[in-house]
Amino acid sequence: MISTNPWIWLSAFLSLACFSLFLGDNKAFRWAETTYTASVIGHSTVTGLLVMRDRFYPLYTGAKPILIIPLILGITVLLVVWRKYAWISSIALAVLVGVGTGMSLRTLTSSDIIANTRAVVGEATKIIRGPLTTQVGSIINIIFTISALFYFLFTLFPRGTLSKPLNYLRTLGKYALITYMGISVGNTIQQWVGTATSALYRLIVLWLGLR
Amino acid sequence: MAKMPELKSEHIWIVVTIAFLIPMLRPLNTPFPMSDVTLEIYKIVESLPEGSIVVMGGGGVFAFDIESSPGMISCIKQMARKGIKLIAVPLWSETPQFHKYVIDAARVDKDKYGGPWKYGEDYVLLPYIPGPSDEVVLDSFLRDIHKTVSIDLAGTPIDQLPLMQKVHSYKDISLWFCPHWGFVPVIRIVVAKYNITSISFAQSAAYAFFSPYMYSYPGKVYMTNGYIGGAQYEKLAGDKGLGHMVIDSYTTLSIVTVAVIILGNITMLSRMREEEK
Repeated sequence: MISTNPWIWLSAFLSLACFSLFLGDNKAFRWAETTYTASVIGHSTVTGLLVMRDRFYPLYTGAKPILIIPLILGITVLLVVWRKYAWISSIALAVLVGVGTGMSLRTLTSSDIIANTRAVVGEATKIIRGPLTTQVGSIINIIFTISALFYFLFTLFPRGTLSKPLNYLRTLGKYALITYMGISVGNTIQQWVGTATSALYRLIVLWLGLR
Repeated sequence: MAKMPELKSEHIWIVVTIAFLIPMLRPLNTPFPMSDVTLEIYKIVESLPEGSIVVMGGGGVFAFDIESSPGMISCIKQMARKGIKLIAVPLWSETPQFHKYVIDAARVDKDKYGGPWKYGEDYVLLPYIPGPSDEVVLDSFLRDIHKTVSIDLAGTPIDQLPLMQKVHSYKDISLWFCPHWGFVPVIRIVVAKYNITSISFAQSAAYAFFSPYMYSYPGKVYMTNGYIGGAQYEKLAGDKGLGHMVIDSYTTLSIVTVAVIILGNITMLSRMREEEK
């Protein structure tokens, strides 16, 4: 049975307008595009205002007077629109970027460098044990990891007797990267197929009630 | 020799749309293999004792997070059935809507659908928590939840919610779910720093990027792969939702793709012969 929910109808018209791009650029698509853009901006504004209410609620009740500092820093960011006082906003932005980068760098070392190195070493031990498929997979993993790293780290290397075998390793690194990109593209296509299915599901099942 | 007709892009799109619509109107029930990782995740959730507190947190764009929804919805149903509690922690501005959507789609709320979960006692939706980076927010949240968040999504002080009175820091959290793109900050803080097992119903593209972390933290980081992972979880939980539907779409679309490849090659070969003549 066809839906009686006006929001489902609006969603259906917007979906149809988006899909109409397949027939070429048209006014219906433009309408959907501008509606979407406006909705995103409107949603961000409302979320921003709600966040202000949520975050500064303890300041309002007097439970956390220290929140006056982020409030002042937040207000100074708005000064970026006045050229004369724009420099004041850089203080708040410096705090924002500094804290974020500092925290990310600290955790990045343990999770991305140490843990990933440990994972490659752990993978090497699987070459000598486990079923044959795991052994072959581990060998490929190790070779691809080393060759891809070699390709990135040694963009320049001395010419001589070793240059030829090292060049083979670099070429192998290129193939490893191409393989990875192929897998990424394949997975991204899968994502788009799923997203399209979800959109058509809204039209066929939720709007028209055909199933 | 008969000339191959010229194919316009509009014609291809019509064929593709039909390929999408067929399984939607008549499910094909395409078989698919079960993954060991998905099975392991299901067992982890099953092994949680009643009353355990689980977090669904992270950040992503709603349109893409839909790919994480089949697995997450089935998992929410499973958690509700087992009496597990859930706290939604959104780190991106669009995420609160997604959290609302998956809980609503699971139809577990007592007041709305007569389900087993009551808001405030069994699940809580927190508002978007901003910060300089996701890592900073997660670290602050896990150290002291009540200092990081003061009210829920509806504006109720969290001290008044029975579930939030039981949870204060990372020590009270049993498991972390991330049905979003932004899984890396979760790994860096929730897993690496606070040693909480984390599971991502990852999007296919995210899986290609972040799955090596499963090797870095074996037994602590788990990822399912896109809609296939979602369909696998649906199968384990006894559901048939969007995941199954997408697997059917993959099948029909693969047939169209192979047909187009064959047609394209025939066209190319026939043109080459014509040119030779």
